[in-house]
Amino acid sequence: MLKHLFKLIWNKKKQNLLLISEMLISFLVIFAVFTLLIYDYQNYRKPMGIDYENVWVVNYNNSFNTDNTDSLNLFYETMVRTIKSLPQIKEISFSSDNTAFSQNTNTGGITIKNKRVDNINWYTVDDNYQKVLNMQMLEGRWFNKGDAVARDIHIVINSVLKEKIFGKNNAVGEFIEDRDNKTRSQVIGVVNAVKMKGDFAKTEPGLYSRTDTGSFRWLGKILVKVNPGTNAAFESQLYKMLANYMKNSNVEIEHMDNKLKSANYWYLVPMIVLLIVAGFLIVNVALGLFGVLWYNINKRRGEIGLRRAIGASGKSVSVQLVGESMILATLSLIVGSFFAVQFPLLNVFDLPASVYLAAIFLSVLFIYLLVFVCSLYPGKQAAAIYPAVALHEE
Amino acid sequence: MLKNYFKIAIAVLRRRKFFTVISLFGISFTLTILMVLTAFINKVVGDDYPDKKRDRSLYITRLEEDGPTNMSSAGPSFYFLNHYAAGLKIPVKIAISSNFNGTNTYVNNKKIAVNYKYTNADYWDVLEYDFTEGKAFSKQQVENAEKVAVISTDMKNAYFGDESSVVGRYIEADNVKYRVCGVVKNVPITSYMTYSDIYLPYTVSKMDYNYKGYRGGYMGILLANSKSDLSKMHDEYEQMIQKIPMESKEFNRMYSHADTYITSYVDTGNEKQSGVLIVLTVIGVFAFILMLLPTLNLVNINITRIMERSSEIGVRKAFGASSKILVYQFIVENLILTLLGGLIGTILSIAIIKFINSENLIPNLELSLNLTVLFIGLIICLVFGFLSGVYPAWRMSKLNVVTALKA
Repeated sequence: MLKHLFKLIWNKKKQNLLLISEMLISFLVIFAVFTLLIYDYQNYRKPMGIDYENVWVVNYNNSFNTDNTDSLNLFYETMVRTIKSLPQIKEISFSSDNTAFSQNTNTGGITIKNKRVDNINWYTVDDNYQKVLNMQMLEGRWFNKGDAVARDIHIVINSVLKEKIFGKNNAVGEFIEDRDNKTRSQVIGVVNAVKMKGDFAKTEPGLYSRTDTGSFRWLGKILVKVNPGTNAAFESQLYKMLANYMKNSNVEIEHMDNKLKSANYWYLVPMIVLLIVAGFLIVNVALGLFGVLWYNINKRRGEIGLRRAIGASGKSVSVQLVGESMILATLSLIVGSFFAVQFPLLNVFDLPASVYLAAIFLSVLFIYLLVFVCSLYPGKQAAAIYPAVALHEE
Repeated sequence: MLKNYFKIAIAVLRRRKFFTVISLFGISFTLTILMVLTAFINKVVGDDYPDKKRDRSLYITRLEEDGPTNMSSAGPSFYFLNHYAAGLKIPVKIAISSNFNGTNTYVNNKKIAVNYKYTNADYWDVLEYDFTEGKAFSKQQVENAEKVAVISTDMKNAYFGDESSVVGRYIEADNVKYRVCGVVKNVPITSYMTYSDIYLPYTVSKMDYNYKGYRGGYMGILLANSKSDLSKMHDEYEQMIQKIPMESKEFNRMYSHADTYITSYVDTGNEKQSGVLIVLTVIGVFAFILMLLPTLNLVNINITRIMERSSEIGVRKAFGASSKILVYQFIVENLILTLLGGLIGTILSIAIIKFINSENLIPNLELSLNLTVLFIGLIICLVFGFLSGVYPAWRMSKLNVVTALKA
C-alpha cells in the first residue's frame, strides 16, 4: 500500500514539490514559535528566587561631599536608623545598581584553579540583602558583621555559578581569584539563583560581594521591605524624609512588582507579535492546503470512480487520500527535522537541547495534525463519489 | 485590451469563489501586518514633532572612550558639550539636554511618576514645541538658576486635574517646588530624545553640571544654517573629536558622532556595525519570512487554477495566441487579484490602526495611514502579485496545445 502511494506521489512530483515546500516552511515557522514558547515557559516554571512583593527600590545618588570615610558612614547609618524607626518598614538593604528587574547589568570574570569563567553577574550588597528579598541559602551562610574583619574577602555565589565551577562538590570554603587575578576570595555560602530579568528570563551565574566602608561613595540603591498594605501616604512620608535628609540628591521610589511588569514586557511583546503572525500564517497555509487538496480530488474523480466501481469501500478511498497527504507531510517533515536538529547539535543561542527537542516533537505533531485535518473533508468528499456518475462524466 | 483582461479576471474569480476567498484572505492579512508595521516605523522615524528642523540638525548622543583593557560608553557630559561642541564654527545653535530620568511626586495622597529633563535655553529655539500655555524659560532665567519648569499636557492633567490655566502655579517634583512657566503638547516616549514630563533649566540640576568629565547623562543637537551644511558640520565634529586630549591615562581613543536623527536613534554603541544596517536587516528578514508563506500559498493556488483553465488556454493557443500574450494576461489577472486584496488590506489596516490609537497602547503615539504608507503598501501589493504570478504563468505557457484540448 505504501509503495503504491509513493508511486502515485512521484508521478505528480512537480505539483507535490510545491506542497512539500509549503509544509516545510510552515514546519520551520512553527518550530521557531514553539522553541520560543517552550523556552519562555520553562523559565516561567522556575522559581523567582526572591520575594518581590512589598519591596520598594529607592534610587538616589550620593551627594554627601566629604573625604572623611567615617563621617560618610555615619551619615548613612543615621539615615538607616531613622528609616527603620518608621512604623511600616520591616527591613532595608543597600545594593549596587543591578537590582532585580532593572536594565542595569554588571558583569565580570573570575579565575579558579587557573580556569577563567566570564559573564558572571557581580552584585555588591550588604548584610540585610538576603533578609529583604527572602533569598534561600542552599549551603553555608549569608554575610554578617564578622566578614568585615575576616582575613580573606568573603563572597557568596549563586546556584548557577556553583554548578558551573564546582559541579556537585561542596563549594563553601573554596577559594577563587578575582577578575584582575590579584585578590583571593573565599566562598562562604551558596544562594538560590534569581531570575533577575523577569518571569521569563533564565537564571544566570551570579556572585555577591559585601559592601565595605568606602562603598557609600558610589552606592545608589536602597531596597526597602514594607508591611503589606502600605499606601501612598506613607510612601510620600518616606520620600520626603529621604529627600530632606539627602538634600542634593535626586530621589525616586519604585515598586519592585511594577518593575517586574516592565521587565516582562521585553519578553511578552515579541512573543505575542510572533504568535499573531504565526497564527495568521498557519491559517493561510491550512486554507491553501485545503483548497489544493480539494481541487486535486476533483480532478481524480475518474480514478476514484473506477476504484469504487471495482469494489473499494468509501472508507478505503478516504484512507488512501489522507494517507497520500500524510506521506507528503512526512517527506517535508524529514527535510525539516534535518534542518531543525542542527539547532541543538550546534547549541545555537545557548538554549538547552531539551527545548529544541521538545519543540521539534511538538511541531511535527502540529504539522501532522494540520495536514490530517485539511485532508479529512476532501477525503470524505471523495468517498461520497458515486461510481456511476463519476465514470459517466468521462 | 486591459478592459477585457479585467472582465475575464473577475469572471474567473467568481467561478471558484472558495479559492478567491483564500487568496484574498492571505493577501489582505499579509498586507495589513506589513502596513501596520510600516505605519509604526513611519511614525517613529518620520514624526517631526518637536524637532521640525530635523533636516538641518545633527544629534550627539554617545561618547565612547577606549583603553587597552576596558571601554566606557555613555552620553556626553554637559561640560563636554558646552565647552567643546559649542566651540564649533558651523553650527548656529546647540541644544543641550539631559537624558530623561524618573522621580516621584505625591499629590492628594496619590503617587505620580515623573520623568524630568534638564535643558539649556537654546534647546527651545532649536526644537519647536507647541505651547498650549505660556512659553519656555529664557536665557536670563537659566543663568539665574530660577526654579521654573515647562510641563507636558499629560503632566498638567495628572497633577492639576481639570484646571484651565496653570502658568504661575507651583508643581513639586523631586522634593523641589518649581513654578510652571509653560505647558507643551505631549511627546510620545518613542521619541526618547525629546520626551519628558517636566523640562527644567540645567542650572537647577542637583548634580554638578560643571563636572569636567567627558561622559555624563546629556545629549546635544547641533543646528546648521542650511541642509547643505550638514555634512560639513559632521566632519567638523569628527575632526574636533580627534584633536581633544584624552581624559585620563586609562583611555587612548575616543569615539563620538554627530549623526542624523535616524542614525542616532538606532545607535547601538557598536562602532563597527552601523545601527541602521542592523535594523534594516532585521526588518527585511521579518518581512521576507512574513511574505514567503502567503506567496507560496498563492503560487500553489494559482497553479491549481491554471490547470483548471487548461482547455481555455489550449483553445486560445490553437487560435494563435503566443505564450507571451498569455503570460501577460495571467500576470495582469493576478495583479488585479492582489490589488483587490490590497484594498481589503488597507481597510483592515485603517481599522486596526484606529483600534491601536484608541487603546493607547503606547501613550501619545498616534499612528496614521499617510501617503507614504499607502504608497509602500501599493508597492508590496505589486511585488506580491508579480512574485506569485510569474511561476504559474510560466507553467501555463508551456502547456501543450493538444494535451490541453484533449483534457
